[in-house]
Amino acid sequence: MARLGRRSLLRTATQVGVGVLAGVQSLGTHSIAQASSRTPASSPVLTYIYAGSSDQKALPDVEKALSALAMERISATVKLVTFDWGTFDQKISLANAAGEKHDLYYTAPWINNYYTNIRQEYLLKLEKLLPDLAPILWGSMTPETWDAARVGGSIYGAINQQIFVKPFGPYIRTDVAKDAGVEDAFRALTSYDDIGPIMAEVKKYIDSKKGGFQYVTVAANINATETFGYDVVDSGLVVKSTDTAGKVGLYSDTMEYSRAALTIRQWNELGYTPSEPKTSSEQQDAWKAGLSTMMMSGVVKPGGDAEIKARWGHDVISVAIAEPLLTTGGSTATMTGVNSLSANPEAAVKFLELLNSDVKFYNTLCKGIEGVHWEWDDKASLLIRPAGGKASYADNGYNPNTDWQFGNVFNSYYTAKSQVGAWPATADLNRNARPSPLLGFTFDGKAVDTERAACAAVAKEFGEPLTFGIVDPMTQIPALNKALQEAGIDRIRAEMQKQIDVWMAAKKR
Amino acid sequence: MTVASPSDARPSLRLPTRRGFDAPTVVVHIAVACLAMLCLFPLLLVVASSFTDEIALARNGYSIIPSQFSVEAYVAIFNKPTVILRAYAVTTGITLVGTVLGVSMIALLAYPLSRRDFILRTPISFMVFFTMLFNGGLVPYYILMTQYLNVQNTIFALLLPHLVGAYYVLILRTYFSGLPDELFEAARVDGAGEWTIFWQIAVPLARPALATIALFIALNYWNDWTTALYFIRSPDLYPLQYLLYIIQSNAQAMALQEQVGQIGTQKLPTETARMAMAVLATGPASILFLFFQKYLVRGVTLGAFK
Repeated sequence: MARLGRRSLLRTATQVGVGVLAGVQSLGTHSIAQASSRTPASSPVLTYIYAGSSDQKALPDVEKALSALAMERISATVKLVTFDWGTFDQKISLANAAGEKHDLYYTAPWINNYYTNIRQEYLLKLEKLLPDLAPILWGSMTPETWDAARVGGSIYGAINQQIFVKPFGPYIRTDVAKDAGVEDAFRALTSYDDIGPIMAEVKKYIDSKKGGFQYVTVAANINATETFGYDVVDSGLVVKSTDTAGKVGLYSDTMEYSRAALTIRQWNELGYTPSEPKTSSEQQDAWKAGLSTMMMSGVVKPGGDAEIKARWGHDVISVAIAEPLLTTGGSTATMTGVNSLSANPEAAVKFLELLNSDVKFYNTLCKGIEGVHWEWDDKASLLIRPAGGKASYADNGYNPNTDWQFGNVFNSYYTAKSQVGAWPATADLNRNARPSPLLGFTFDGKAVDTERAACAAVAKEFGEPLTFGIVDPMTQIPALNKALQEAGIDRIRAEMQKQIDVWMAAKKR
Repeated sequence: MTVASPSDARPSLRLPTRRGFDAPTVVVHIAVACLAMLCLFPLLLVVASSFTDEIALARNGYSIIPSQFSVEAYVAIFNKPTVILRAYAVTTGITLVGTVLGVSMIALLAYPLSRRDFILRTPISFMVFFTMLFNGGLVPYYILMTQYLNVQNTIFALLLPHLVGAYYVLILRTYFSGLPDELFEAARVDGAGEWTIFWQIAVPLARPALATIALFIALNYWNDWTTALYFIRSPDLYPLQYLLYIIQSNAQAMALQEQVGQIGTQKLPTETARMAMAVLATGPASILFLFFQKYLVRGVTLGAFK
């Protein structure tokens, strides 16, 4: 312990004065060769760190059950470590920077940043290990999908099979759709252009009811890039999914963006949306409290309505507007990485195989132990229910409820009847999605970090009022683009175009 | 220098009598009252929101008078009181133990440093002072705690970091050296040993300064959540403020999940429940402050910069 500690201390001695919350960044290097040459113990203990809610009382029991299974299959035992969602970023980056020896951990572009972890050499290269030690996991996804996780030619994280595409679309409360008589019209929607008349009907319905609903929709954000077939790379810079040449454009400079902004503005003037901006948590509170009849843009996915019902208590009808587009960001949204300092990298990769191929092992981690935490409701359709007649899984002391964080969700048992069949449907959605011309490309923004920060600030200042429709798009979109120009968007665009051209040339060869 | 006894201090602190209310006093009072209101307003808003019906809050927004009075949030918290009660026990425990231990250690360090006849006075004072200028940074701190002291995930991880603050040592040393040497000499002539002098003369005389430092340390312990963020993994050891932090930051993380198309179905406490938690967490600290306030004023004016 002391010996390793000293090594780590030397490694980090250069980083005196690291910012407290700024995300700890080690300037030293993890020695990968050293990690893999260390002889593994006879039955290694694999420490797996993930985000969740730490009050899972039955976690020790689940850990024991998983260890027994893992002992049988890969002669290793498992130690599960949960960091609370809100603290995951800080805790895992501290542990990584301090050179702790945990084996596997959750990583993604949006939390515990995958690219930062690669830059700091906290992640082990997996492209050579996966085909040998995790053949089922390796074969479960197309080479293009694996390319999404590649950085500099290497794969640093095992992608979790889940919904890769983001078919955004609106949803409406079923009771409102029926009472206002717009159900059929809503189900027939194919674009946001046709939703105006429906909103007018709903507005009439709300006004006639006096009280109750406050907004037709509390969120008017119909301007997500995916909705219009753009793959957003960084800083609001996009490539059209049909453009195989990969020409970078500014999203706020496109026709689609202007039209969406004008539509939102119109809704605001008609009183469909809140008169002042709401934070996302305020929007959710309003939706939950039953003040909004619709939400304009959510990921419409198989089984999604059941998730909304479970979380907010409202029955909804949802319609996908956006064409499913397979992007780098969507594919890498959830991954499990192996620590570059792991003492047992091979066992860790075998663990990944187990998580992604062994249905019993995976579901023990996701749902707990059969007969203790859950029991079969209908085994034929893989539907389960809380064990012991309890109302919810949490009552049995184990309900992490993040199957998508652990592995291949298509192996997950269904927890609600309306969810049955969602996984094959999701797999179809992924398979049939159009791959973005940039699938597999990742932008390295290090050279233009200053400009990116400046542009992000501009986008927030000008973009949010436009998303809420409280300013006039005719003057504010040009103002936004001018401010972006001044913040250096063109330098980012040039850098991005350069990297894309190099990447495309390499791909053709 | 003379001993600053309470009777010396009193005249300067005496409030103006009723007859003394002239125009400038009134203006000053109004200004201070406005400032106080500005400070109090956010706190009152939190208290009012915690007593508001959840749906009414979403509908009408925040207001200083609950639009629809409800104690639902508190009922919800105390329906499952184990988590918050345990957090209370942890926080109260480390605050009490930490304050007593901390003040004792600081006093025992500061007193010798105040004595001119102590040989190592200068080097040790410098070492104390040096830690105020330079520190190792977060990662070495983390490595020290987890790989050398091995206190991660124990109550000691919460206790150790705030025990002795260099700044408090220097304040107290200055205070001690302001006490007249003649007193100590007289005691020595009467046959008192060093321990007797410390306990029976130095400590009683330094009571206002000690109380002030005790208050600072107690508030440090009470409000500390970063230490738990770094070192505590077991929910049984979560202090109160960390529990609050987790609840707030989890809500933000949930919003992030939605951006990537995952709906975390974990039940989050409602807005009102979060406010109620904040009230429960800040309440005792405010009372503690009121209780110590008279010492605080005296301690700061008498001790710090003499």
